[in-house]
Amino acid sequence: MLTGAIVAGVVFGLYYTLVGLGLNLVFGVMRIVNLAHGDFLMLGGISAWFLFTSFGLNPFVSVGLVVVVFLLVGLPIYYLVVPRLLRSRDSEMLSLILFFGISQMIEAVTTIGLGATERSLPPRLLGVGPMVILGTRLPKAWIFSAAASAIAVLLVYLYLYRTRLGTLTRAVMVSRDEALATGIDVNFVSAVAFGISLALAGVAGVFAPFILGSITPNMGVAINITAFAVIVVGTLGNPLGTLLGGIIYGVSLMLMQTYLSSWANLLPNLLLIAVLLIRPEGILGRKTRRA
Amino acid sequence: MHKRNRIILDAGIATAVVALMGIMRGVYSNELMLFNFIMFLTLSQGLNIIYGFTGYLPFGYVGFYGAGAYGFSLVVMHLHVPAMVGMVAAGAAALVLGVILLPLLRLSGAYFAIASMAAAQAVYEIVANPDLESITKGPYGVSLSDVFAPATSYYVALAILAGTLLLVVWLRNSRFGMSLQAIRDDSVSAAMAGVSVVRGRTIAWLLSALIAGLVGGVFAWHISVFYPDTAFDLSVSIFSTVFLLFGGATTLSGPLLGVFILYGIYNIIGIAVPQYFQFTYGALIVLLVLFLPNGLVSLLTNRGIRVP
Amino acid sequence: MSPEPLLQVEGLVKRFGGFRALDGVSFHLNPGEVLGLVGPNGSGKTTCINVICGLYAPDGGSVRYAGRSIGGQKSHHLVKTGINRTFQSPKPFLSLTVRENVEVAAHNGNPRPGFDVDALLALLELDRYSGRPAAELNSAQQKTLDLARAMATEPRLLLVDELAAGLNPAELSRMADRLRALADGGMALLIVEHLMGFIDKVTDRVVVMAAGKEFFGGTLADATRDPEVIRVFLGGGHHG
Repeated sequence: MLTGAIVAGVVFGLYYTLVGLGLNLVFGVMRIVNLAHGDFLMLGGISAWFLFTSFGLNPFVSVGLVVVVFLLVGLPIYYLVVPRLLRSRDSEMLSLILFFGISQMIEAVTTIGLGATERSLPPRLLGVGPMVILGTRLPKAWIFSAAASAIAVLLVYLYLYRTRLGTLTRAVMVSRDEALATGIDVNFVSAVAFGISLALAGVAGVFAPFILGSITPNMGVAINITAFAVIVVGTLGNPLGTLLGGIIYGVSLMLMQTYLSSWANLLPNLLLIAVLLIRPEGILGRKTRRA
Repeated sequence: MHKRNRIILDAGIATAVVALMGIMRGVYSNELMLFNFIMFLTLSQGLNIIYGFTGYLPFGYVGFYGAGAYGFSLVVMHLHVPAMVGMVAAGAAALVLGVILLPLLRLSGAYFAIASMAAAQAVYEIVANPDLESITKGPYGVSLSDVFAPATSYYVALAILAGTLLLVVWLRNSRFGMSLQAIRDDSVSAAMAGVSVVRGRTIAWLLSALIAGLVGGVFAWHISVFYPDTAFDLSVSIFSTVFLLFGGATTLSGPLLGVFILYGIYNIIGIAVPQYFQFTYGALIVLLVLFLPNGLVSLLTNRGIRVP
Repeated sequence: MSPEPLLQVEGLVKRFGGFRALDGVSFHLNPGEVLGLVGPNGSGKTTCINVICGLYAPDGGSVRYAGRSIGGQKSHHLVKTGINRTFQSPKPFLSLTVRENVEVAAHNGNPRPGFDVDALLALLELDRYSGRPAAELNSAQQKTLDLARAMATEPRLLLVDELAAGLNPAELSRMADRLRALADGGMALLIVEHLMGFIDKVTDRVVVMAAGKEFFGGTLADATRDPEVIRVFLGGGHHG
């Protein structure tokens, strides 16, 4: 049972890495908290559901569409709000409030348009039957969702470390002011990072029905707490740390569900508070911020 | 303006609001709506004490409200005590939660806001857990028909509003309130001005928690049947925050204006399809942060006019 | 035997992780005396001030003030015993008025009631802005306000961290006169500064620091002739 919980935990952990990665990328590059991240994830899920029910598109196909559309939507959103936000006195705090407003708008529009009901997709879309890993039987839908997450994480890694724009992105992460002084087009670099972040949320949304069971318009808040827990555990502003945070989160969640299932919902909340209080710089972080 | 005149003006506004809400009960028949107004007038000022005066914005402010509602309900259900004893328990429950969460004050800005939200969610998960049905009734909600007293509870709510407004008037005109604002602006400079930063923040945090707890308690009393989803509904935090930010924190009149205008609009257009209102206030938040981060009153304060 | 100095720092150590920002620094300061603390960037001067005023707890050594050991005590408490400081980048209370900025310090940090805030504002030529928000002041005025905030607690020991940076020559000279006048009134001043002209004008003696410890004590004139001091400043890439 323990092995089973750990194997399932790693599989879920890969997915939760994807959930947190975009939020962390935006925080790392812009030092703002996108509190609408969970709502963009929800929109990704709604898109997958819509593309399947209306056009019969398999999620593996719709994921490509979602990436392109979300990436393109991210650019104007960035230019509309973020540069202005970053000029304010306390942009980190104000970002939280502003994106909270955006989150409310998204939730409201989705509920008005589609109603508040739960939406799900048949797991068979990602493959029929279980798969056995280390003696643990897991649904193929889980495995393929985790694999898709791993691919997305890998692509972000390649972007950051193997492309020119990615290198510039990392420079902005180190110091926005110095990057600006050296002539980097910080706004463009950030806008692309913002677009990528939304695309990652969208991808996580496409696979959300298979991992989380269903999609509802008001799921954003809970997802945000989870995503924040993942990235705080794995060090804020460090995209690679997200992988560690995601796996730790996934494994603890599965252990909770195996041994203490009725209290499992407490986990993200307690984990988040505990890490913030005990090690606010995250597991990989150096002590830089004043807690 | 002379300092004494400022205090008189502040106190006059506070008295007028309390008198208005008292008179309205005899004039207007929808008591529940008036009661909700009193709740949000009080909650947004309670939030004002912690956010306006110290800069900490607890997204999980509803946690204290829920703790108060359940503090009231648990002693009334299990110990069959009078409602006023339940109110003491409501305040105590919120204070205890406030003390437990004191370490959160070590966090700054966004971390604090999100950690407090996680804390409120955690309390909800505990209260609503089916395993605790024998104590909290779990997700099935509580019923307190024994103490149901809509008139008394209305006036108790009004008294809590009056006390809260007086507290804010005092903070705005006292040395302690000025020290709190100094801490908010820069805690290191404040320490070097001789201000005890930890003590100041702790007092503001616990006062703010106490107010939400008392409001939660009187809510439980007035409504008498409710579910954990209602007592820990994140919209309680959201509404209070939006009203406060919309009007302008640190002032007395800002949050009052925020509640009267926005909650007024909500009651006209929002009840039937709450999502229209949700969309509107979401958009309002975005516009406020971008164009008027210090609220409506900053239209005047930016021109050097002091706003009560 | 001479009486104990007002401030006696002995073998002070402060570590950040593995880095020893202060590595056994020692010096003393008497009432009415102005001591300059000079040294290359990163030599531990500001850390020294931060430890003395209680922002950091020391990891070793001792700080004695007015005959008592004060290492590790909280700032807001030390302020009331007569220690205060100014900041290299002052952070006034931006939403309060200039007068309220000073009032906060007079109310909380000055054990003696009835301090005349307006007289202090007039002395520092801030009285014109008394009712304006501190956010409207320029950076030189904010530095003066920071000094006013410290003076409102009537310190016996004032730690001054790079007051000169960013001031024009006229402001510099006025500030130097002010500090000298405070010392003449009996206040002890510890001044961290890069501008040697300012140090020369204000201080009685200097302590030269490098890598977290002092290695020269005496007058500035002697310091500038000391080969070791010259080596450290040139080797440390100093630009003051």
